[in-house]
Amino acid sequence: MNTVLRVQNLSKHYEMGEITVRALEDASFDLYEGEFIVILGPSGSGKSTLLNIIGGMDTPSSGKVYLRDEEITDFNEKRLTEYRRNKVGFVFQFYNIMANLTARENVELATEICKTPLDIDRIMEDVGLSERKNHFPSQLSGGEQQRVAIARAVAKNPEILLCDEPTGALDYTTGVTILSLLRKVNKEFNMTVVVITHNAAIADMADRVIKMRSGQIIDIKTNQKPIDPERIEW
Amino acid sequence: MKKLDKRLLGLIKHTKGQFIAIAVVVAVGLMIYMSMSSAAINLQDTLDDYYQLTNFADIFVQVVKIPEKDIPQLLSKYDFLDIEDRIVLDAPMITEDENERATIRIVSITDEDRINSLYYVKGNPIRDKDHDVVLVEQFARARGIDVGDSIKFQLNGRQYKMNVRGIAASPEYIYLIENEQNMLPDESKFGVVFVSKEFAQQSSGLIGSGNEVVIRLKDGQDHSVVEKDIEKGFEKYGLKRIIRRENQLSNRMISEELTQLRNASGSVPILFLCIAGTVLIMMISRMVKKDRASIGVLKALGYKSSQIIVHYTKYALSAGFLGVLAGTILGALIAGGMTKIYIDFFNIPILKINFYMIYVAWSVLFTGIFCGFSGIFGAKGILKIMPAESMRPEAPKSGKRIWLENIKFLWRRLSFSWKLIIKNALRNKKRMAFVLFGVILTCSLMVATLNLVNSTISIFDEHFSEFQKMDYNINFNTPLNKNVTKEISHIADIEHIEPKIEFPFEMRFGLRKKIVNIIGINRDTRFYDFRNLQGDKTYVSVKGLLITENLAKEMGASKGDTIRLHSFIPDRKDIYIQVADIITQGLGMNAYMEIDHMADSLLDEQLVTGVYLDSKDSELVSKLISADHISTIQSTQDMMDVFQEFMGLTIMSIGIIVVMAGILGFSIVYNATIVSLGEREMEFSSMRVLGFTKNEIFSVVLRENMIITIAGIILGIPFGHVMGRALGNMYSNEIYTLKITGSLKTDILACIFTLIFIALSQLATFRKITKLNFLMALKNRIS
Repeated sequence: MNTVLRVQNLSKHYEMGEITVRALEDASFDLYEGEFIVILGPSGSGKSTLLNIIGGMDTPSSGKVYLRDEEITDFNEKRLTEYRRNKVGFVFQFYNIMANLTARENVELATEICKTPLDIDRIMEDVGLSERKNHFPSQLSGGEQQRVAIARAVAKNPEILLCDEPTGALDYTTGVTILSLLRKVNKEFNMTVVVITHNAAIADMADRVIKMRSGQIIDIKTNQKPIDPERIEW
Repeated sequence: MKKLDKRLLGLIKHTKGQFIAIAVVVAVGLMIYMSMSSAAINLQDTLDDYYQLTNFADIFVQVVKIPEKDIPQLLSKYDFLDIEDRIVLDAPMITEDENERATIRIVSITDEDRINSLYYVKGNPIRDKDHDVVLVEQFARARGIDVGDSIKFQLNGRQYKMNVRGIAASPEYIYLIENEQNMLPDESKFGVVFVSKEFAQQSSGLIGSGNEVVIRLKDGQDHSVVEKDIEKGFEKYGLKRIIRRENQLSNRMISEELTQLRNASGSVPILFLCIAGTVLIMMISRMVKKDRASIGVLKALGYKSSQIIVHYTKYALSAGFLGVLAGTILGALIAGGMTKIYIDFFNIPILKINFYMIYVAWSVLFTGIFCGFSGIFGAKGILKIMPAESMRPEAPKSGKRIWLENIKFLWRRLSFSWKLIIKNALRNKKRMAFVLFGVILTCSLMVATLNLVNSTISIFDEHFSEFQKMDYNINFNTPLNKNVTKEISHIADIEHIEPKIEFPFEMRFGLRKKIVNIIGINRDTRFYDFRNLQGDKTYVSVKGLLITENLAKEMGASKGDTIRLHSFIPDRKDIYIQVADIITQGLGMNAYMEIDHMADSLLDEQLVTGVYLDSKDSELVSKLISADHISTIQSTQDMMDVFQEFMGLTIMSIGIIVVMAGILGFSIVYNATIVSLGEREMEFSSMRVLGFTKNEIFSVVLRENMIITIAGIILGIPFGHVMGRALGNMYSNEIYTLKITGSLKTDILACIFTLIFIALSQLATFRKITKLNFLMALKNRIS
């Protein structure tokens, strides 16, 4: 499998008063093309810090991150913006979509600025919102809003889709449908999907699981038989 | 310190830019209030003291001739406090430059110098009655004349060389202007020379008599009753004009300035406080919305809603009181300087400056009320916050289609980014209305102010180049036969000359009456271009009077009305005359008649009081000065030059208004933008994560604000014109009529100024976007 992203000895330390917080310590791993990865860990384990760095939203204290052959940890502000624009897509726990734009316009907001966007109507159909694409966020349920957020991230046609607790604000049923959608995106577009969560049940659907604790990777496990999201229970 | 107060300090620190912007608006408002109110009261007090000290007359009566022996009888007959007769004459000054024109007013004084007594700043009173004079201070200063120097003038065909024994200020000439037509003082071209009564009587031929009477009334004497008594009792002396103290030219100018100062000190600060209050309401209501979760926590801890409302109201009051502190200190400092500028400008030799604590008290009270109300009103949303609900993420605001989307043909043509920008701009109507208000206010104030300048310039321009076109206006010291016109034509190289009659009459219409100068001129005059209210050309005719628009307004008269003219010449009966037309005239309040008709019906035939002429003769003034009976020579060019000088002062005061308008506009737009940025932090962070650059986000915000700015300017321009006209009416008086007309140039200039101030507030926005920590914004959903 082709390596999409390589993380080498990544560390992030920051000062909080007189204490040095070691949010991330010497993390190394590879992400492969078309892979579905779950980064699992409790609160404060460093998973969000890791996601922020590989997503080009934060810089490490040491270590390197390569996208294909380019070292993104070496990028300046301008190139990091370019990177976020064209190479990665984000999905957050709280959707963060624009209230005054319709579902379709929210997706358009992302495709407007990237180089190789996907067809919006197709994406809307894929996320199951073709009937509700002209609705405003206030007219959509939490699950539907998260679908808009996924559509917005996917429509940019990124190499990696980074999802930070995408089911954190949703009930079980809706959470499962969102996970199914992420899996569908992963398969259909052969897109590398990284989900970070504290919910261990979600790990069962991943191709690989990276476990973290206290800023360190404690285990990287390959699932021989990832299960269907519909069969996950928590 | 209570923990909530500590939180308040944090809040202030976090929003210091906005906090200071509000404090500045309050401070500027109160600074204006404090400085103008104090200056007004200081000026009034100084003036009252000065008038008291110099025994300034209550009534001035101009007559043809009054024997001095009659004065004691008049004093007892009318029970005046005091009365003095005097001689007042205008005469040309003889200077080393033969072609220089300068007029001096010769005013007689007695040894007692009881009424309108002089305030000596240098030298001594007159000793040698035939050769000593005292010079009015401004004129001496402007011409560099000192005690011991001599001055020369021409009176009744004779030249006099007099010694300057003293230099003094006069309560009658605080504002040194010749007459209503010469609104601006030209201190080097017009001066007052005080001479002994004996000299004045001999040189004028009025032996044992005077041509003016000054009167002091007793406390409680009714001025209008006295005026009526004088009208009857002084008729035999050839009553020309009765001028009450309030209408005395110099006093009227200073009183008008005082009125304007008081009006401005009352209205301007209220405007500033209203704006500060509105900004605070908007800011605090948004703050409460943003702090929803924190407020929920406080409520969960057991704090009462009222305690939390007080907490936010303290924010408003802190900003207000910081403004009070800065505003009153600066205001008090400026007040002294401002009073001094006024006192120097008006030439009052004594100065009384006090600090008035009452204005500080009013400032605190006003600010407390405005800011306290704004705080409570802005924080009222606290009542609705439920603790449990507040800790859950907020549901998205309801989105709606905007009206522009219904115009499909237009909407389809817009790019996505423009759609986004327009939607955002129209999303929050209250915020948009507020920013729009800020831009409209800034732009309209700029338009109104610049139009005011434009109109002030055009008053003089139109008056001296379009309305009246003569090079020189010459007055005789006594009415002469019309043939004098021919004589003057022979004296110098004159291109064109026309006779004129200029005489004061009392105009009566219904219950209203007014003393005005009626000017008689040739029907086919080349020197006047009369335009009626419709802008059509009109002429003097035998049909009746042409009266100026402000006079028509003052009298309540219209075209076709019959007006009664009362002559001050003894034994003349009142005549009735029709208003033939109403004309526009920027400077002065006059009526015009056809010269022969005027001579026939109002005066003796063939008499004229002066001439208008055009001449390129470089020695004209020296030739005319040597001629008999010439009292004053006014050149239009001199008037224009004075105006140029005056404009420097005007432009400075206009500049202050422009800066003030800018501060208001900046404060409104800056606060509204910062509040909006705070609310949209998450939105912008999401955009950053999506890959938008800082510049792209700024461009979105900038374009949103540009839409509102353009709308604000489009609405602000006509509003500014209306405001300008209102200001024009407010500032117009019988000396000048400000006709406010807009021009493309002033509109463009106003737009540029507005854009500069809005751009400054946008720089602050850019700074804020640059500093945006999008990771924190996305993580921290609780402030």
